[in-house]
Amino acid sequence: MNRICLVILVLCFLSSQLLGEERTVSPTIQEVKAKHEDSLMAMPGVVSVGIGKDLDGQLVIIVGLDRPRPTTVEQLPKVLDDYPVRVEIIGPVKPR
Amino acid sequence: MDIDLTAIRGVLKENRSRLLARANVVATGIGYKITKGEKTSTPSIVCSVVKKLPASSLSARDIVPATVNNIPTDVVETGPIRALQSHTGKYRPAPGGVSIGHRDITAGTLGCLVKKSGQIVILSNNHVLANSNDASPSDPILQPGPYDGGKYPDDHIANLQEFASISFDEQPSQCSLTRSLASLFNGIARIFGSEDRLKAVRIRAEENTVDAAIARPLNDQDVRADILELGTIQGLAHGELGRAIKKSGRTTGLTTGEIQQVDVTVDVQYGAGRIARFTDQLLAGAMSQGGDSGSAVLDDRNNLVGLLFAGSDNSTIMNRIENVFSALGLSL
Repeated sequence: MNRICLVILVLCFLSSQLLGEERTVSPTIQEVKAKHEDSLMAMPGVVSVGIGKDLDGQLVIIVGLDRPRPTTVEQLPKVLDDYPVRVEIIGPVKPR
Repeated sequence: MDIDLTAIRGVLKENRSRLLARANVVATGIGYKITKGEKTSTPSIVCSVVKKLPASSLSARDIVPATVNNIPTDVVETGPIRALQSHTGKYRPAPGGVSIGHRDITAGTLGCLVKKSGQIVILSNNHVLANSNDASPSDPILQPGPYDGGKYPDDHIANLQEFASISFDEQPSQCSLTRSLASLFNGIARIFGSEDRLKAVRIRAEENTVDAAIARPLNDQDVRADILELGTIQGLAHGELGRAIKKSGRTTGLTTGEIQQVDVTVDVQYGAGRIARFTDQLLAGAMSQGGDSGSAVLDDRNNLVGLLFAGSDNSTIMNRIENVFSALGLSL
């Protein structure tokens, strides 16, 4: 009886470890961008949201603005789920 | 060579016009004489000719003398010398990188040739070949585009075959019909004592991945597979972050850049309040201007990676070529 209880306990422990690990797998930058994209694009002056690299080669989410927008920049998150957010003024985008 | 250079310069200056007056001579300069394909250490006056001919087939006054004031001459075949190739002129056969357009637009760029159901077709943007959805299949396509003097029927090169429709997000103020209908129904609701009201809202248009169209040349002999200043396409490639790219377009010619952003979602202003949202785009720096739309974007191995269609002061936006090919059912 004791042995069965022990086996059950060990199984419970192992399964909780496995599930826990699955929960802590961090989302990819594509997933994070997709999740926040609509709210970012809805902010005044935001014309684009993309994925780029900073000077150190680290992946960043890049928000493009039509012109300098201090209020929007203030309201933009600096980090989204551990991925840095960078702002670039790219200007209004038109067909060429 | 610097020891004799001043003296040779003087001799060349004195004799230049007489040398250039000879049939075939298109340029003169100073360079090491090449004998039997090998560069020698002897400085010479180089006469460039359209075609090297045996002395026997030339009249005496057209023969370049062996020496001028004791300085040896060298005759080099360069072919005709032209100004850097214009992108706005009329070309038959027309390569990629030159002006093209639907007859109701200004001008854009002929991207490149691709295949649809085994037939050769011209690839460019919807807003270049199909006037931003406002066109019908078999509408005439002009090369050069109307802005560059293209006229129907003289410059008619192809007919519009198919375009991927662009989904626009109209501004709410433009839809007066919806607002009238809403107020009509609200009036009826009020009469019947209902407290519920209808409100006209704008529905977000579908997201686009491409601004692309194809046109069928009237004759396959009127188009050619290479792209001006870029050469021939070697294959297809997936545009990755940091990859070096280049394009040849109607307005800015050959320019280079780098893919700075991928997975780009971008709102593009098509004029008259029409905005289209594009997803899965590639973004590069300033490497284009108006008129470059439709340019094929290649990587450093001449693999096709994108179709240029939009931009801003600091950016150039491209459709991924995979999305273009799958939207229109194309192959190389």
